[in-house]
Amino acid sequence: MTIMKTTRRKFLSTTGTATAALGFPSIIPSSALGNADKPAPSNRIVMGGIGIGNMGRGDHGAFLGKNDVQYVAICDVRKGAMNQGKAKTDAKYGNKDCKAHDDYRELLSRDDIDAVHIATPDHWHAQMIIEACRHGKDVFCQKPESLTLGEGSLMVETAKRYGRVVSGGSQRVLQDYKGTVLRCWNGSYGKVKSINVNVGPMSKPCNLTPEKVPDDINWEMWLGPAPWAPYNSKRCSGSFSTSGNSWRSYIDYSGGGMTDWGAHHFGGATFAVDVRELQPNEVVLDEIDGKKFVSLRYPNGIEITHNKPGVGQMHVGKGEGQRKGKEVPKYAGSGGITGDFIDCVKTRAKPFRHIEYAINTMAVPHLTVAAYKLNRSLKWDAAKQEFIGDAEANRLRNRARREPWQI
Amino acid sequence: MLDQALESLKTYEWGVDPKAVKSIQDAVVASHGDAAARKKLESTLADVLSTDVPRAAKDIVCRALKTIGTAHSVPALAKLLHDEELSHMARHALQTNDAPEAVKALVGALDKAPKKIKIGIISSLGARGTGVPVAPLATTLTDKDAEISTAGALALGAIGSTDAAKALGSAKVNDTNRIAVCDAMLHCAENMLAHGKKADAKTIYGTVLKIGPTKAAKIAADLGVKASA
Repeated sequence: MTIMKTTRRKFLSTTGTATAALGFPSIIPSSALGNADKPAPSNRIVMGGIGIGNMGRGDHGAFLGKNDVQYVAICDVRKGAMNQGKAKTDAKYGNKDCKAHDDYRELLSRDDIDAVHIATPDHWHAQMIIEACRHGKDVFCQKPESLTLGEGSLMVETAKRYGRVVSGGSQRVLQDYKGTVLRCWNGSYGKVKSINVNVGPMSKPCNLTPEKVPDDINWEMWLGPAPWAPYNSKRCSGSFSTSGNSWRSYIDYSGGGMTDWGAHHFGGATFAVDVRELQPNEVVLDEIDGKKFVSLRYPNGIEITHNKPGVGQMHVGKGEGQRKGKEVPKYAGSGGITGDFIDCVKTRAKPFRHIEYAINTMAVPHLTVAAYKLNRSLKWDAAKQEFIGDAEANRLRNRARREPWQI
Repeated sequence: MLDQALESLKTYEWGVDPKAVKSIQDAVVASHGDAAARKKLESTLADVLSTDVPRAAKDIVCRALKTIGTAHSVPALAKLLHDEELSHMARHALQTNDAPEAVKALVGALDKAPKKIKIGIISSLGARGTGVPVAPLATTLTDKDAEISTAGALALGAIGSTDAAKALGSAKVNDTNRIAVCDAMLHCAENMLAHGKKADAKTIYGTVLKIGPTKAAKIAADLGVKASA
């Protein structure tokens, strides 16, 4: 009776957060949201979006299409994307109410917004997720969720501190590797020993020729916490290229294909072999026929290999003995990974790509990159989030943020 | 190859192919475990910082010193801390430099730094966490500029020590720094909990509740009070 009498907003801001942080998910009965196809506005999740180009455009459309979401704000540092997002939102509702922001801090400061989705370049993710949590917002953030190892634990801690629902955004983990996942989980492979992921390349330094900054973009805000650099259209292009034609190619903004597609592939691998709750404790740089590859070893004996010569994508190495079958986890609610997030915002349950799982996944490519860059094997203490006995490697965990950005 | 790359730094403007200086990064990796080679490389790179090579070249040098920097390169980097264009990349190298001299350089640059640069230095001190004196950061809490006191609060939260919590407890809270001060205190309290100091944590959570927290911080503090029971 208490819950039924409680408004959605009050529920989200008090009871729900408490139950999430304490690990006791609570379900809002459908009566609390209304049984009609479209809940009353006061019972919808009020959302805003930050970064509306490319993947952000898709996420915007997905959330806008949900009957239990009221979309009220758009933010982008590119005027064109910002205006298009506002126009699309206003057209959906038949009004002019969607507020367009060019500074995400304005959006996060709004008390009327419950949740945000973020699809900026990767160098902004940690900053925005952490600030959103401090403002009491739930967050859906596109993958790769982190740019560095150090950012990961800060995001997890902050989400936990404020009892926020924070979901990563790889829709492919559950979608692209179904057969492998099912055979691993239902026991038909027996005990699983290893899985191989082929992905790349690593991101590289960027020193593109300066170009005139177009009027359409706030270049300072695009760069944000990344090192200052002159504008170049390829530097900030949101295309999916990792070979020099987009920000996904460059170290200051991305881990390259290693983290961009890696977030999907390593996400699928960690899911298939059921190590989403763990991080590797050893990163072994090895070589076969002159070709380097990395093996990431987990405390439970599972091994994920990266680019192991002669081994196919998502190839599963079988161990000895049987594995008892388990039901494969799936999304909550309906509507894929965005529906999963919205459902979890209501119930305060952990989403499918809960931030902790996302960060554990992202640790895999980050550790792999560290081993390749330093050209040596490394040992990783997941509890302390530090490399063991390797001061140089530890320096790779964090990067100074350009002033005035701080987390 | 390294000599060529070092020579290339003299004309390494924005737009030059990074391959021209790739050998510097290769030398960083190759000299691992060779103290003499490292010392020579560090010294050579630090010297470049006092020349008039282009900004993009100094950017490259700072990135290399991030990996190999010791106390030896601190003075050269410290000279850049008040440089509007290069302060960030100098911090890029200093923030992860294990030498206590790096902390001293950052702290020493605080007082006379312009606002934006000061915020950056405060941020780097917080990110270092251990080995950073609390007093200079505590001073920033009383700064009339709320953005500086906000930065100071977040840095103290990242340090998370008893002294940091004590300094935060006496911070003058306003609408601009409220979220940061609360977050920093919550951070300190979690650190206490992680070390089994439940009573200390409970005291901090209580302070957060007294200073007029945001809604989000109140929820977090309420949860913290329960966790520290």
